[in-house]
Amino acid sequence: MTSRAEHSGKAPVGQPVLRCQGLQKVFQTHRRDPGMRGLLRSFVARETIEVPALRGIDLSIEAGEFVGLIGANGAGKTTLVKVLTGIVPATQGRSELFGEPSFELSDAAKSRLSIVMGQRSQLWWDLAPLDSFLLLREIYRVEKSDFDLRLEQLARRLAVTEQLRIPLRHLSLGQRMRMEILGAFLHRPQLVFLDEPTIGLDLVSREEIRTILSEINREQGATIVLSSHDMEDIENTCRRLLILSEGRLLYDGDLVKLRERLFEKRAIELHLEPHAAEPDPAVLAELCGADVQLLRSSAGALSFAVPAARVQPFLAQVFARLAVRDLAIERTPLDVLVRELFQREGEG
Amino acid sequence: MAVHPQVALLLQATLYELKKVTAWRMGFFVREIARALLRPLLTIFMFQAVFAAQGATELGGRDLDGTVRYLIAVAWIEGLIFHDRMLDLAEQIFQGYVTKYLVMPMRCFTLALARYVQFSITQTGVAALLGIGGALLLPGVWPLPVAPEALLAALVLALAGSYCFLLLYFLLNSIAFWLEVVWTLLVMTRFVTMFLAGVMLPLSWMPEPLARALEYGFPYWSIAGPAEILLGERPVSDVWTGLAVIGVSITVLEPLRRVVWKRGLARYGGSGM
Repeated sequence: MTSRAEHSGKAPVGQPVLRCQGLQKVFQTHRRDPGMRGLLRSFVARETIEVPALRGIDLSIEAGEFVGLIGANGAGKTTLVKVLTGIVPATQGRSELFGEPSFELSDAAKSRLSIVMGQRSQLWWDLAPLDSFLLLREIYRVEKSDFDLRLEQLARRLAVTEQLRIPLRHLSLGQRMRMEILGAFLHRPQLVFLDEPTIGLDLVSREEIRTILSEINREQGATIVLSSHDMEDIENTCRRLLILSEGRLLYDGDLVKLRERLFEKRAIELHLEPHAAEPDPAVLAELCGADVQLLRSSAGALSFAVPAARVQPFLAQVFARLAVRDLAIERTPLDVLVRELFQREGEG
Repeated sequence: MAVHPQVALLLQATLYELKKVTAWRMGFFVREIARALLRPLLTIFMFQAVFAAQGATELGGRDLDGTVRYLIAVAWIEGLIFHDRMLDLAEQIFQGYVTKYLVMPMRCFTLALARYVQFSITQTGVAALLGIGGALLLPGVWPLPVAPEALLAALVLALAGSYCFLLLYFLLNSIAFWLEVVWTLLVMTRFVTMFLAGVMLPLSWMPEPLARALEYGFPYWSIAGPAEILLGERPVSDVWTGLAVIGVSITVLEPLRRVVWKRGLARYGGSGM
């Protein structure tokens, strides 16, 4: 597809589309103490406090990459996206998109950019998505013939052709998110930020959206930065992973290598028989050993982090020593992963 | 001939706005049509009551019929003036919905401008229907234009003045980057500007120096001035004075709007994203 603006085609692979150095963002807020005294104090002399959201991020993303951005709530993911895309200015440091300062992006640079916010619709609630897309066509100056072709292709791929003329409010959450994605890729952007694009979707829809994003990344060379709490989103699409914690970039590297290091663990949650005796600490110590970690212990429930290769012998050991009523095996939760990374950073 | 991209965007955005206001048919009727009908009707009853209570035959140089005709003309023209509730920019700033536009290759003001164009198209249509209906149903009461030129001059002044209101409300909405009192400011501004425009009371009821001073403001030339031209109380040639006043106001408001918007963006936190 070509367009009237200078944003058609792929960005040269290997060239950085995004770069930032020493990026810091501090938000100012006010502290209000509780009670009448606090009310009066805050009314007369308000105390301003600074909340650092980003604490010196260095980052470079090259054309064609598919990057995952994860972190706990408040880690700074959304702030990083906002600063990188020029929605908010950085307090300190430098951020560039397509070689231009993020906060002073030209229209040509903006034409190569797209953002999908899972919790904020880009499209108008009362109108059919097609109306919103027609407006996007004018905003991004896409030629009509190209627009028609692109719309037809994307709608077919996203399975929403029949819903294009139905008001957005009548569509399901999954269909609405597909429309958001369609709108985001209509002008063939070179860099796309997706913030929680699968939030609230069922398993099938999530899987389909992941597949489509991967295809677009592969076929069109669009650089994609995906921010999500869903580890499956990240694992199934991204090749590079960024982990943010308290405004710092805790990890920036290959997802496969990280998976080798950490993802090969499983979280095993055990529910013990209701009237069984409390597990003997000596038994727990024996179960843990060198590579198994006791994550949580509460009344009648235990949670362990176990290397994937050791799950079977571990469970055999558990059934031999504990009265287990039920169990659940999951991949290592994000918080455990981040905690473990912290520990390693501290040790290293 | 190829249309300039900005014009094409404005046209598409205007169509988009028209679709938005007509998406709910009952909402469209209440908001766009019933509102325009209500004020002229209330004006008739209200000023009959004012004259009856005063026992007067003339107030501010107009008798009851003249006053009612003037105030209906004012209410009729006021329907063309961009309304503070037409912009939801402050809410978009608070809620973070404006974020999506900030990463698009366009000026956010284009969407506000499209809303102005949509509003002007819709309200000109409604005003035309109201004018025809009023003239047919309320002969003798409804204010008839003294000449086609007077009608045209009044329309041009009202639409140009309406643009000043758009700039003013956009500016006030932009204050949402700093303060959470935009709604109160808008209501206060609406109240004051409608007073200055002679909507609440005929300016002829006010002291002479004050009435003269108000003629230097765009609110007057947006509503009362066009009403007086329409009724033949002012010569049609006064349209140039009105356009000059409105032109000066736009020259002041436009850069102010840009500065406030730009400074506001530097403070934006993108909440809700």
